[in-house]
Amino acid sequence: MYFEVCGVGTKENTLALRSKIDRRVAVLAVAVATAVALTSCGTPGPVQSPDGEGAPAANTGSASAWVMSGTAEEAFNASFARWNDAHPDELISTETFANDAYKQKIRPAIGAGEAPTLIYGWGGATLADYVATDSVIDLSDLLDTTALGEDLLPAVLQSGEVDGKLYGIPNNIVKPVVLYYNKDVFNDVGLDVPESWNELMAIVPKLVDAGVAPFSVAGQAQWTLLPYFAYLVDRIGGPDVIASAAEGTPDAWSDPAVTEALVKIQELVDAGGFVNGFASISTDGGADAALLYSGKAAMMLGLPATYDNVKTGMPEFVEEGNLGWAPFPAVDGGKGDPANLTGNPTNFWSVSADATPEQQQAAKDYLGQMMDDGYVEDLIATGGIPPVNMSEDKLAASDDADYFQAMYEMIDSAPSFQLSLDQALPPVAGQELLIQLQQIFLNQITPAEFVDAMNETIGK
Amino acid sequence: MSHLTDTERLTVTSPRRRPRRRTRYNVPAGIGGFLWLAVIVLPIYYVIVSSLRSQAGFFASNPLAIPANPTFENYWVVLQNDFFVFFRNSAVITVVAVVATVAVSLMAAYAIVRGTGWFQRTSFSLFLLGLSIPTHATLIPLYWMITRMHLYDSLAALILPAVGFSIPLTVLILSNFVRDIPKELYESMRLDGAGDWRILWRLVIPLSRPAVVTVAIYNAMNVWNSFLFPLIFTQSASKRVLPMALWAFQGEFSSNVPAILAAVVLSTLPMFAAYIFGRRYLVSGLTAGFSK
Amino acid sequence: MPSPSVPRAVVRRRRTGPHPILLLPAIAFFVFFAIIPLFGAVALSFTQWDGIGPVSFVGLDSWKTVLSDTQTWHGLRLSLLLMVVSWVVQMPLSLLLGVFIAGNQKYRAVLSAVYLLPMLLSSAAIAIAFKNLLDPNFGIGSALHLPILVQDWLGNPRLVIYVVVFIIAWQFVPFHTLLYQAGARGIPVQLYEAATIDGAGTLQQFFHITLPQLRNTIVTSSTLMLTGSLTYFDVVYVLTAGGPGNATRLLPLDMYLTGFQTNQMGLASVLAVILVVIGLALAFVLTRASGFAKMNSDQEGL
Repeated sequence: MYFEVCGVGTKENTLALRSKIDRRVAVLAVAVATAVALTSCGTPGPVQSPDGEGAPAANTGSASAWVMSGTAEEAFNASFARWNDAHPDELISTETFANDAYKQKIRPAIGAGEAPTLIYGWGGATLADYVATDSVIDLSDLLDTTALGEDLLPAVLQSGEVDGKLYGIPNNIVKPVVLYYNKDVFNDVGLDVPESWNELMAIVPKLVDAGVAPFSVAGQAQWTLLPYFAYLVDRIGGPDVIASAAEGTPDAWSDPAVTEALVKIQELVDAGGFVNGFASISTDGGADAALLYSGKAAMMLGLPATYDNVKTGMPEFVEEGNLGWAPFPAVDGGKGDPANLTGNPTNFWSVSADATPEQQQAAKDYLGQMMDDGYVEDLIATGGIPPVNMSEDKLAASDDADYFQAMYEMIDSAPSFQLSLDQALPPVAGQELLIQLQQIFLNQITPAEFVDAMNETIGK
Repeated sequence: MSHLTDTERLTVTSPRRRPRRRTRYNVPAGIGGFLWLAVIVLPIYYVIVSSLRSQAGFFASNPLAIPANPTFENYWVVLQNDFFVFFRNSAVITVVAVVATVAVSLMAAYAIVRGTGWFQRTSFSLFLLGLSIPTHATLIPLYWMITRMHLYDSLAALILPAVGFSIPLTVLILSNFVRDIPKELYESMRLDGAGDWRILWRLVIPLSRPAVVTVAIYNAMNVWNSFLFPLIFTQSASKRVLPMALWAFQGEFSSNVPAILAAVVLSTLPMFAAYIFGRRYLVSGLTAGFSK
Repeated sequence: MPSPSVPRAVVRRRRTGPHPILLLPAIAFFVFFAIIPLFGAVALSFTQWDGIGPVSFVGLDSWKTVLSDTQTWHGLRLSLLLMVVSWVVQMPLSLLLGVFIAGNQKYRAVLSAVYLLPMLLSSAAIAIAFKNLLDPNFGIGSALHLPILVQDWLGNPRLVIYVVVFIIAWQFVPFHTLLYQAGARGIPVQLYEAATIDGAGTLQQFFHITLPQLRNTIVTSSTLMLTGSLTYFDVVYVLTAGGPGNATRLLPLDMYLTGFQTNQMGLASVLAVILVVIGLALAFVLTRASGFAKMNSDQEGL
């Protein structure tokens, strides 16, 4: 590449330029220096993460935890603060991360031997991977030595196990995907919430005629499309179909349930079941929930975060009781139990194998007592069901009692709880699934092509 | 067709003369200019206006309308969330990286332009080829190196690669300037017995000021706004830089959009200030530095 | 050159130029933090590594996997498409704008101050802003009540790559406008005056004076544009992360996602090496072309 110069060569030009520039450069330099000086001197003290006034800055000595920012952040931080106050000899320092940033960073950190003592995770194939590479330690003894064995909900606990041993302790609310709907819209059009897939397909044209999109979905995010597929496969073929794919059984994706699910999805798309331009809608900011509470869409599959988004975006909507919730419709003649759930059973704390024995002990002690009343209440306040056996009164006492009670019953009576597919499957398969599924929704590929592509990922 | 007479050709001297003001108004050009202005301004306007909305009712109002109840609450949230730490970190890495880059590159440019020998020539070709190396290609090996050197999660991990990657372009631009410093000046200083350092200090640096300022500003903007390296090489909050602050407002499943946009505005302000100060330099530097 | 009257002993000791040691810091930084990692990427391309476990040498396996994967070629096609379309869009736009603001009219000076604003924003900021603006229900289309602006901008696989081109143009046209402004300012006024005397109109002057005089700027700016868009990553990643499906999964994105999302560092390194090779080839070709142009303009006797 050539940057040819011309015109500045003469001595006169350069010297004349000099004096004018000297002054300006001086001003600029002073400005920059002042700015840097101000910001260097003016920083608040050891501003670390909000882990309470009493906690010291993060250092290599004490145990550490990486906290996810978002709805449960306060619950986590409050819990650590309480712990640190009561156990100054076993301090746990925290760092806060946004979701995407965390996912990018945790692997390199583990690889560099710099993982935090308490590792946040979603279970599934990632946890299995950590176990396979000896990155986390076995926590099964906590079930016997602490109250955790009795308190934690069995279905949820299972998701933290790998090969029968416990490697992750649930730390967050249970997050099933349910069908949220706008009661006003249903009343106006004179419809009932569908309980079976056939009913669903029947009301779609009526909603379309009424100028309302049947389903809102943030299609750009890809993972938001997973519940449709996960639920349909489960309803049609039962939970074993996905389980066998997750284990890497060859040609697991050729199971007829998969193809039938994809066919149904494409029928729904073709019938106008999704809001126009759904593939452009991103989850940032809750535009998908906004479609629901603004009446432009009738239904939406979502995690409890959807409930939150609606509450934040339009509090009156929830207060006036316009937000409804229902289980995903059953499929007539399907093998799966209509009470099965999919979603994120919960999140987990695992303990790093690279931490020192003292750090590990501090972490385990913390985990043993984590599910105290304060923590449980904080979790409820975040808008969901804690992963513990609950008394009715606690739920009834909260602001969103109806919602919580309904959710709790669904969770408690669910025979199986399928983890979000992109987490349940190994990374290569999980990422490929996101891409393939989006292409199904966009009618870019056929179910047969999907099956072939997914079968290719087995064993990678 | 225009044809110049010989005298007209010869009278062309400095190419930096501006075209004289024309009395004709170029209407299509004017319209085009304002259209592009709209295209540029609209997203910027959207960012500013949205940062003044609150999360509740964000989707209820027309996104381009002035908010009925403008609020600065988002700005408070951002400022309270370690904003000054991020700002300080960004400032530190920018200043250090730019100073290091420019100092080292100026020395190299001087050595290349006035030097003889295969080392100088090879170095120049090396830098030339270095321009086409995509930085992300080196991400993984760099990550491995940084961790082995125990620099992971430090500001040094951000500064050092930034300097490494900024050097080729900086050396090239500075070389072109240094090339134009008349040989006689060098030689007269040499005859006076001046060593390399004095020549650098007394001759090269003062005369290449416009170029130095230009590359300084250009590199500063790149380092300030870089986000991939900070994403991979730092983890603790105390080491985060401003672009990371934008990510901090993304929750697990959705984000506080007005707060993110407030963070965008706040993180752009320093650039904006530098822009106001340095625009003349950037323009005049590029004017002189790039080919006619 | 030292004059003949200087004693020979002194001539022998004195260097004729700056000491090469001045080059050392720059070379050291560059080699250590750019070249060595580059070789590291080449080395990794012969391995299989998931980022946590041990690195295992697999010879050419990773290369075979990548080169036989349709996604690789798809990504390459997309990257080339992006390069060409970006150039076609950005070059005329920057050129016209650059010439436009090179003019002396006051209003143009004001406009030029605004035109440069996108350069201040980080890629993440730009991507976030546009993501929200392009929402089909709550974005600019519904705001301005213009149905034509309510498209499935980011969701339509055929449309999205052009949306990406537009946003990248939004981000980089200001920079190239500066280059063309500088170039246009450097065109001698006499040429235009002579042309006006000869009766040439605005359009003729543009094509017969402005364009030829800007030839070198065009080459420089185009080189930067093409090499830049080949390796461009930031905005696209935050905006679409390669989606929908893989409609925007350009080669750099494929590399990043393969390495950091599916943890296949070996494959990602192969893609990295491919990118570097193409980049070098491109730079080489363009250097030749610009050398050619350089000779031309010299001979035009201005």
